[in-house]
Amino acid sequence: MTYPAQLLELIEEFQDVESQMERLEMVFEMADEVVVLPVETWSDTTRILGCQSEAHVNVSLDEGKVLMAGGADAQLVQGLMGILTIAINGSAPAQALLLSPEFAQEMGILNSLSPSRSNGFRNMFDKVMLEIRKLEV
Amino acid sequence: MYVAIRDDFPILQRRVHGHQLVYLDNAATTQKPQVVIDAMSDYYTQSNANVHRSVHTLAGEATDGYESCRTRLKSWFNAERAIITSGTTEAINLVAHAWGRANLVQGDAIVLTEMEHHSDIVPWQMLAEERGVEVRYVPVLDDFTLDMDVYGASLDGAKLVCVVHTSNVLGVRNPVEDIIRLAHESGAKVLIDAAQGVPHDRIDFDAFGADFMAFSAHKMCGPTGIGALLVRPEIFEEMQPFMGGGDMIETVTTEGSTYQTNEHKFEAGTPRIAEAIGWDAAFGWMEALDLEHEHKRLLEIARYTARELRSLGMTVYGRHDDADSAVVSFLHPTLHSEDMAHLLDAVGFAVRTGHHCAQPLLNRLGISSTVRASFYLYNTMEEAEAFISQVKTILERFA
Repeated sequence: MTYPAQLLELIEEFQDVESQMERLEMVFEMADEVVVLPVETWSDTTRILGCQSEAHVNVSLDEGKVLMAGGADAQLVQGLMGILTIAINGSAPAQALLLSPEFAQEMGILNSLSPSRSNGFRNMFDKVMLEIRKLEV
Repeated sequence: MYVAIRDDFPILQRRVHGHQLVYLDNAATTQKPQVVIDAMSDYYTQSNANVHRSVHTLAGEATDGYESCRTRLKSWFNAERAIITSGTTEAINLVAHAWGRANLVQGDAIVLTEMEHHSDIVPWQMLAEERGVEVRYVPVLDDFTLDMDVYGASLDGAKLVCVVHTSNVLGVRNPVEDIIRLAHESGAKVLIDAAQGVPHDRIDFDAFGADFMAFSAHKMCGPTGIGALLVRPEIFEEMQPFMGGGDMIETVTTEGSTYQTNEHKFEAGTPRIAEAIGWDAAFGWMEALDLEHEHKRLLEIARYTARELRSLGMTVYGRHDDADSAVVSFLHPTLHSEDMAHLLDAVGFAVRTGHHCAQPLLNRLGISSTVRASFYLYNTMEEAEAFISQVKTILERFA
């Protein structure tokens, strides 16, 4: 899988870290990258189902480019959202849809990408991709 | 003693993210001693065959291995009837279909509690919708116990009471003996979800008095995918077959079928043979332990953990009375439970987070998730101390 340059750089940065705790600290710091979706706009439409935390995303187009905004009450989930923001925001929808979720494993952040009720990242990724597909139609 | 116990579990040697594994997710599933792994492996390498069918040597060994698990269940729990299922969930669903459908009609009531696992709620909601049966819930009080006054009042017109023996979230052991007695006095049958009870408490089913008791192997050092339903003999006769298929029949003609009269009537299809053999080995392994002594030891570890977590500003959900299980559910006021669990995993500690399949209970507590550390036979006080130390480090760095 070829990733966008900005994501590739991030993957390498994460791979250079040996301690899992430090890696998670880096994910926590990525939370600041998220374009904030104001809490008052959180609704059932924006909710990421299957997340243990309360997590919301909204995907729209800004001059034809993907604009994902979101927020979560768990720092780790919001950090993962921040990484996804770096990966897809500003891309054409068709380009963003080429992304596969394996990058989170390559970064050494997640143990599993299998869809499950405990896999907040996978559920977030799938929802964002679904929303982008809707925008494409 | 604990060194010897720990030596029996090869997985405890594992390192996670470069750290020694400390497994504290035992209320979800326990680890397996080498004897269980060997028993299952031996079956597949030496005796693999289907049960109850062929006359060859391997089939005989497989049948003996499978039925030996049933014999062990009956002797361990002092029960006359032991139906082997895929686990607690299937056992409860079996009661709903095999007994509930034959005995519950519109206008009847089933009494549950707010403390139930989803496995002991959803099957009854489904049956209630189908049959027009009322479902009543006994509330949980602020001290994490059941409101026994409401329970007493809710028995009027109830045909069945379904109660969790020990809460998977709180570790609270309910007064099931009183619950059974009161239900029987008012003419209701009782199902006990003992998934979290039997790992800590060697229950005498006959003396216990419940009509049904459901539990799983994997929470007591046995394999996943197997459990049991114990049934009182007179109730067993009232149960109608649920799943049809091979092994549960006596004769089949194009006009109709007749059924077995023993437990096989409820075990259609090829059963979980390797798992039964593994579970039997787990019972054999546990037989050598003083479970009462272990329970007291683990409860001391849980009490220490709860006390320390409270001193760190956590809310702990549970009371850890003498008969409760060694489960410690907690929440930090600001650090999310999911963040805590990932950070603990980063240093080798396995805990559970989320709603623990008990959403009505968490709704009652006004929360959506907790972190849960649950201790079992191979856990030590040193592990609990290391756990507290790591929680302190995490809070200093991230909270």
